[in-house]
Amino acid sequence: MNEKLEKPKKILMIEDDIFLRKIYRDKLTRAGFEFIEATNGEEGLSKVLSEKPDLVLLDLILPRKNGFDVLAEMKMNVNVHHIPVVILSNLAQESDRKRGLALGAEDYLVKTEVTLAEVVEKVKVWLLKQANKSK
Amino acid sequence: MLPDDFTKPKVSEVVSITSHQLKTPISIVKAYLEALLSEDYGKINDKQKEYLGDALENIKRMSMLVNHLLDVSRIEERRYELQSQEFSLKEVTEDIIRDFFSWAQASNCQIILKTEKKLPLTISDPLKIRQVIENIIANAIKYKSPGQGKIEISIKKENNMLLFSCQDNGIGIPEDDFSKVFSKFYRAEKAVEMDPSGTGLGLYIDKAIIELSGGKIWYKNNPDAGVTFYFTLPIAI
Repeated sequence: MNEKLEKPKKILMIEDDIFLRKIYRDKLTRAGFEFIEATNGEEGLSKVLSEKPDLVLLDLILPRKNGFDVLAEMKMNVNVHHIPVVILSNLAQESDRKRGLALGAEDYLVKTEVTLAEVVEKVKVWLLKQANKSK
Repeated sequence: MLPDDFTKPKVSEVVSITSHQLKTPISIVKAYLEALLSEDYGKINDKQKEYLGDALENIKRMSMLVNHLLDVSRIEERRYELQSQEFSLKEVTEDIIRDFFSWAQASNCQIILKTEKKLPLTISDPLKIRQVIENIIANAIKYKSPGQGKIEISIKKENNMLLFSCQDNGIGIPEDDFSKVFSKFYRAEKAVEMDPSGTGLGLYIDKAIIELSGGKIWYKNNPDAGVTFYFTLPIAI
């Protein structure tokens, strides 16, 4: 995915938990991605607009603006609405999953149900799909 | 002193909030253990691998308990959601049997499925029904008698319902426990000895799922050995 001469893909993780940010920063950096982070919804949305990441990993229960609102605002903004969003949350109710996907998230992952390696794989898959779409 | 307007939260509310809050530390510990086990940070020896693996297994166990507690609190607050749709009960069952094949084989257990070729679709939440069937079959594998285990599953049409049954030749359920089997935290004495990790909430949740779908769930001890669990689900019109 990240060939030597190609610029590393930029992943923005919007997550308020310091320990999860730390392990994903480590895992995704090792996998060859550029990792940027935000600790609340407002900061997340502002980084989406200023940094234009290639993909967003989005938590839902966040301080200052919840993940659903971040997602809805992203999808209404023509400058960033194409950026794939993968929700990574502990809300496991079917109604939450449906709401997230209806708002335009590409995927909905439950933290306790996926492994670190599976999240990295999903990130790669959605980046590849996005690349094929824009060809 | 508590403020005058303080209202005591309901127990189910406390359970629900605490369970949800437990999910964050569980997902963190799980991710860190997975990172160590992936050997991204250097090789680990067999003993370290074994202990980290055991820790991971137990985090998964804790995660299951938390999910069960959340389900129970939602059932008790009458806000347990089913996303009902038409689906094939036979296909879901076949899929589960495929998933369980290696485990059943390693446990010296044979699973047989008997159904009519063409069965009508049922209507309920396929993910939740999957959870019910997985729980029933997993119990049959876990609580088998020594020797060859045999699990016979059948699905057939009866009036306007589909009747699912799962017969095993395992340790059975003591007659004295008859009224408690679908209660919260029920675990037969022998079951606790054989698998201390169970939560005792599986069948309670199964009953809620089946009844919310418009069906019934029950069981009978077989005359010779083991137990048969039954449930019905409405046929999609």
